[in-house]
Amino acid sequence: MIEQLGNGLLLGVIIALGSVALSLLYGVTRIVNFAHGEIIALGAVMTLFFSSSPDSSLLFFDRYSPIGINFFGSIVISIILCGIFGASLEIFLFRPLRKNNFGNIAVLVVTIGLSIFLRHIYLLFASAKPSSFILELQRREDYFGIQLTPRNVQVLVLGFIVMILVGLFLTYTKTGKAMRAVRDSSDLASVSGINSDNIILVTWIFSSMLAGFTGIIQGVINNVRWNMGFLILLLIFAGTVLGGIGTSFGAMFGGFVIGVLVQLSVGLEFMDGHTEAKNALALGLMILILLIRPQGIFGTKDRIS
Amino acid sequence: MNNPIIEVNGLASGYVKGLNILQGVDLVLKDKEIVSIIGPNGAGKSTLLKAIVGLIPIFGGKIYFNGAELKEIKSYKLAQMGIGYVPQVQNVFPSLTIEENLEMGNWAAKERHKDSFNEIYDMFNILFDKKKERAGNLSGGQRQLLALGRALISKPNVILLDEPSAGLSPKAIDEVFEYINLINQNGVSILLVEQNAKRALKFCDRGYVLDQGRNAYTGSGEDLLNDDKVVELYLGKL
Repeated sequence: MIEQLGNGLLLGVIIALGSVALSLLYGVTRIVNFAHGEIIALGAVMTLFFSSSPDSSLLFFDRYSPIGINFFGSIVISIILCGIFGASLEIFLFRPLRKNNFGNIAVLVVTIGLSIFLRHIYLLFASAKPSSFILELQRREDYFGIQLTPRNVQVLVLGFIVMILVGLFLTYTKTGKAMRAVRDSSDLASVSGINSDNIILVTWIFSSMLAGFTGIIQGVINNVRWNMGFLILLLIFAGTVLGGIGTSFGAMFGGFVIGVLVQLSVGLEFMDGHTEAKNALALGLMILILLIRPQGIFGTKDRIS
Repeated sequence: MNNPIIEVNGLASGYVKGLNILQGVDLVLKDKEIVSIIGPNGAGKSTLLKAIVGLIPIFGGKIYFNGAELKEIKSYKLAQMGIGYVPQVQNVFPSLTIEENLEMGNWAAKERHKDSFNEIYDMFNILFDKKKERAGNLSGGQRQLLALGRALISKPNVILLDEPSAGLSPKAIDEVFEYINLINQNGVSILLVEQNAKRALKFCDRGYVLDQGRNAYTGSGEDLLNDDKVVELYLGKL
């Protein structure tokens, strides 16, 4: 089991980041965003498009060669594009729905449709084959008994730094506090002089950039594929619910626990190498914990929804 | 002195178009006045406050603030113009600390004026003692004081209060009313919706009785308290 700990930590960071982004958006907008996985994938697919060599066999829309710019430059551009994409979704889709008093369930169905639509656009854009970023291959080394490549370690550290920064942003900045205020009550925020629409827009941008970053990390650790976000979406939902809906710290914790448990369970004897069943244990545990504590580990009772 | 600060003419409003809860309400709140709105459950008292602060759509009629018609009513702009509002429920941000709640009330201010915070803390000492605690942990009475503080910190000209005594102990109710009086003495006009009609009428300069979304009676607090019809229909006989 211990040999899976390295992979577990990596999946834990991916799910934790994805869960924070999802939880933040849900908290402020009350949107259960099934297209969240596709924003994650957008970060990775865009980075692949910008960073892969034009000489590689990769073709986008079966026709266009990749751009071939510097990898870190590609990451920055892709994260910014994810932010712009999130802003567009809010301005052109979700804000009009909100102004027309669309119900939460109807909006949820819209996000499912959006998810399917975007995922298949990526399928056309980047083909069904998994692809990798242009990064040199590295051997796994031993870090305190945990097997990881040096790049894996960098990704883990970066992931934790980003989570700490998100926490500091929400706790100490004026915008972060306003996001939490709108999450508590958007009406009360409005009558306090806060333009809730602006805060919701900023939340979409922030959550989408964080989701894009999650996808890039996932691409670095594993590979890039059209449905990569969809494949981890259930685990992200599980992490968010386990930690407590609407609490960012809870989402980080829940996501991390789910990710680690999923990967650790691969090493269990009774799994007998059936890695395709690896989600079972973690999701079973999530159901058990919610039976005992419906508000999640860090959630408060008024946030059960 | 005594210029109309808020004037409502023939206001029709509700949560859904075609289902008006307010069906042509008139109301005037003059500078430095305390005005109470009373009436049975479902009369549209809270709805009237929500319509004035732009939380629900307006389907007819006009609202004037300091003599100018409010054309596009956006809650956050009204707050910035000097209309404070304390809702009956969800009147604080429970996951924010008391200090952060006040900061949100002071959102429109360009800079964080320490003095404005100190003024609120001087008025409500209990808030200073608990300023790092989450508002969700406060008692009902303390929440109401924080809600008043949050609305006051932006130095509004008028505060709309929706049933500030609801769910409070008799001692906490006395305290809240004392504070409302003090706020008014500092020059802030008060528009008060109250379930405790007798207390509200004794307390206010003028009162409005709403019934089924329409004005039923209007007059000074004292006149309404002595009006047999009002007593019979809305206040009950002792």
